[in-house]
Amino acid sequence: MLKYMFIVLCPLSFLKADYQIYSKLQSNLILQYNGSNHFTHNPEKCYEILQDFSEQASNFTLCSILNSKPITLCERCVEKYVTFRDKYEELLNTTINGTSCRSIFISQDRLNAVQEYHDNILSIWNKGNCNGCFDWIQGKPSLKNDTIRFYKMTNDTMDCIVKNMDPDNTEVCNRCIQSYMQLDNFYKTLSSDSIGVDSVCMDIVDSMNATRYIWSKNLNCCKLRKKPEVVFLCCAGIIAILPLIYYLTVRFCGPIRDLPNVLKQSRFKQTILRSINGRND
Amino acid sequence: MSTSSSQVIEETISVTTSDTAQLVSNEEATSSNFTQLNKFSELQESMEDDLHGSHGIRRRQPVQKIEPGSLNILSAKYESLDYDTCENHLLLDEERKRGYPFVVWKDIARWVIVLLIGVITALIAFIIDICIEEFSKIKYEQLKKSVDKYVLLDKLYIPYLLWVLTNICIVFIGSMLVAYIEPVAAGSGIPQVKCYLNGVKVPRVVRIKTLFVKAVGVITAVVGGLAGGKEGPMIHSGAVVAAGISQGKSTTFNKDFKILQYFREDHEKRDFVSGGAAAGVSAAFGAPIGGVLFSLEEGTSFWNQALTWRTFFGTVVSTFTLNFALSAYHGHPGELSYPGLLNLGKMEPFPFQFYELPVFMFFGFVGGCLGALWNHINYKLSVFRIRYVSAAWLRVVEACLVAAVSATCGFLMMFLLDDCRPLGEDPTKVPLQLFCADGEYNTLAAIWFQTPEASVRSFLHDPMGSYKPLSLMFFVICYFLLSTWTFGLAVSSGLFIPNLLTGAAWGRLLAIFIQYMLPQNSINPAKYALVGAAAQLGGVVRMTISLTVIIIETTGQISNALPIIITLVVAKWTGDFFNEGIYDIHIQLAGVPLLPWEPPPLAHNIYASEVMSHPVFTLRTVENVGHIVEILRVVSYNGFPVVDPPLADDAEVTTYKRLRGLILRSQLIVLLQNKIYNENANTTWSNFNVDMNMFRREYPRYPSIDELEISDWEKTYTIDLRPFMNPSPYTLPHRASLPRLFRLFRALGLRHLPIVNDHNEVVGMVTRKDIARYRVWRHRGHMGMEELLLSSEI
Repeated sequence: MLKYMFIVLCPLSFLKADYQIYSKLQSNLILQYNGSNHFTHNPEKCYEILQDFSEQASNFTLCSILNSKPITLCERCVEKYVTFRDKYEELLNTTINGTSCRSIFISQDRLNAVQEYHDNILSIWNKGNCNGCFDWIQGKPSLKNDTIRFYKMTNDTMDCIVKNMDPDNTEVCNRCIQSYMQLDNFYKTLSSDSIGVDSVCMDIVDSMNATRYIWSKNLNCCKLRKKPEVVFLCCAGIIAILPLIYYLTVRFCGPIRDLPNVLKQSRFKQTILRSINGRND
Repeated sequence: MSTSSSQVIEETISVTTSDTAQLVSNEEATSSNFTQLNKFSELQESMEDDLHGSHGIRRRQPVQKIEPGSLNILSAKYESLDYDTCENHLLLDEERKRGYPFVVWKDIARWVIVLLIGVITALIAFIIDICIEEFSKIKYEQLKKSVDKYVLLDKLYIPYLLWVLTNICIVFIGSMLVAYIEPVAAGSGIPQVKCYLNGVKVPRVVRIKTLFVKAVGVITAVVGGLAGGKEGPMIHSGAVVAAGISQGKSTTFNKDFKILQYFREDHEKRDFVSGGAAAGVSAAFGAPIGGVLFSLEEGTSFWNQALTWRTFFGTVVSTFTLNFALSAYHGHPGELSYPGLLNLGKMEPFPFQFYELPVFMFFGFVGGCLGALWNHINYKLSVFRIRYVSAAWLRVVEACLVAAVSATCGFLMMFLLDDCRPLGEDPTKVPLQLFCADGEYNTLAAIWFQTPEASVRSFLHDPMGSYKPLSLMFFVICYFLLSTWTFGLAVSSGLFIPNLLTGAAWGRLLAIFIQYMLPQNSINPAKYALVGAAAQLGGVVRMTISLTVIIIETTGQISNALPIIITLVVAKWTGDFFNEGIYDIHIQLAGVPLLPWEPPPLAHNIYASEVMSHPVFTLRTVENVGHIVEILRVVSYNGFPVVDPPLADDAEVTTYKRLRGLILRSQLIVLLQNKIYNENANTTWSNFNVDMNMFRREYPRYPSIDELEISDWEKTYTIDLRPFMNPSPYTLPHRASLPRLFRLFRALGLRHLPIVNDHNEVVGMVTRKDIARYRVWRHRGHMGMEELLLSSEI
């Protein structure tokens, strides 16, 4: 009995041992594959570039998150953006021994992590129209004159407001309105469309929004725009009543027209009825 | 009692053989034959009062005068179109001569014409689109500048009056055109096209002048700030283009290109017009399949597979051309899938759960109720207009007043409701600051300072918090009333866009309420705005299939079909509970004898002998010219049965004569015009060189009989009508029931249907108006049939 048991179990234990060996071999293979590039000949240079790229990416991400409110992202992170962008270019364009780094990292699998992260990080930059803050001379950014001028004007306005701050706010509005209006008008000239979301860089938009908010909400300096407008209301009233007068007039003063007649239809039944009536009379 | 009385009458009648018109000629009259035709018990009743028609039909008081603006009157002015082919000798000759190559050639010509229809319709739509867009842009930019300037000076009345004045001036131009030059171009044009496709000739509806007035009129109406859309007029334009191109001639410019003569008949023209209307829908919405379905659902009484296929080709060409032109205009030439081409903007697919279906049904219910209310208000207004505002100058004044009030509404709303939003979060074209803080804009101004179509897009696509519920509510009330007030003015503008706008606004409003009730869920306002828009429009026009497809195609998202279908079905049912669709109301107000899809139910006991017109004016096979001229002058009928000459020429006895064929007034006119008659009745006729083109040359506007000059000596001449008449018209026996008559009439698109007795002798004639006067009504769950009155003066 026992003997039979042994015979049955024996191949099972063999199988088990077999499996252990197999899995050990596999992990060895993977280690080898990843570690010493026996199977593929990926140049190490590419991995170095990748390393740098990932550092730049994290630097830029860090910077943009830290500068997200109030938005100073474009101005403060521009250097990190440039290195990040350049590293990616390098990653794409480097070719070593006929193997391009691009072919190793980009579009090789479902995850496609390198490109995905790059696109995501870049999208925040593009969404904010950050390139619009700078003049790009051979890929090197320098602040646009407009940007510098805008910041100067903003600072002037804010200085004015801070200097003239008083509890009842009335003086501030009168004293600073000139610089504020200048700033406002200058801002309006920056973009071609009326809202400024298309081309103006987000730093400027945000800064302007903040200034406007302080001006009109905190300081409440937009009182100019509230007036009774009596003439307007009277005009609107008169025009709104006109249709009523018109309809009443046409209803009661229109010419009395003759009502349409009903057309006599000629039917078989009428013909018979007529003839019967004629006969009976 | 009834039996005895009927016997008495029977006897009376069978005695009075001399002057009683019976259905079978006197000598063969039998009582059995006769009792089949009439129920004498009821005949007795109707002798006493004619209030109740036979068989429980509600018949109206036999009044002499009727109040204008009634739904229960048919106008006798409308004529039918001839869809039946006249198989006379000339046609046979032509077929024999031309053979199969001609058939092939005709088929190719059809496709080429459909291609042209699609292209030209799309180009017209493109021009309308661009004009509206550009002019509106100029107008609103100038207004914005003016508001920005004067709001600081406390002189807001200046931009306001400027707006009112601009509106009035622009609308004045369009309204003058419509009121004085072409009144048939007023409104959306869909009811008229629907009538035309049903087989009713609406005078001047497919003329080039109408097209011009319509196109200019719709531009002025929309730019003038009225609550109207451009879609209906585009559909009408498509129909006119189709009718124009397919004929190869223009009567307006008096130019005959001598081509396409073989399409100059009502039947072919109707097919092209249905294709043109579909191309118009397709150009208006960018919805090719919706166009085909629109044509199928709203229009054509007769449909076949080849026509569907051709129509589809036309709509696809139309959309393609429009997209091509628009993509070039928007700066993406050749990019045909550019999302800016979608009429209502590209809609994301919105996920919906099973438990949301009742919500959609509720939206449909609301849409049905609001749509019915809209229709009712518009109906009351239309009746008022028919009764009191009929003079052309009064209609122009009315249109201008509405334009002024539209501007007033908009401005008052901007002024009174301070709904401010920070700039830059929403896509706003003309942000107007007005009383808002710096860096903010007035949302209501953003809605009012753009075309209604752009406003629909804003309501559909803007994020959740873009509009405050209070301003949405005011907007809905205001725009609802304005749009129902505007429809029916003497301007050419449609109702699709205003209703979509109203619906999108209240859909968004309800979405906000749902969000308040379920704060933990994030509600997608676009979903409810779209469903609301569909519900409102469905409640007004009561279309289902084509509307669903149009909305799907204009938002580019097929996965939203189910919610829209459910909403539309509920909206239609709810609306139908109260009244009919707006197009049907307007058709009924105009008294057009439109034949519905189905015959009236429970009407099998109404016989042809009751439906038909009785004393029939007939012509003999060889007829005297003087007699023809006389008959054409005296009566207004358009078809005359051609009969054998009677054996005895006794004027005293009314006898029936055997049917030989049917001839149309237009044919007789052409015969008289070309003097196809002979001095001697017995001469042979072969020496006349007559072919089909003689008849086609005058189509579609034949001269009236009074315009012909026929001297007295010619009146003794005779015409042989046999080569020209239709030798085998469709006929029915006098005992045929109304549904049978109806189906034959409707399916074949007939114009005249002679009713014969057992001896194939003409006893009566059924025309469209004889059938259309039996109309089924439905109201609040009840239904019945009523017999309408006819009047020639409305």
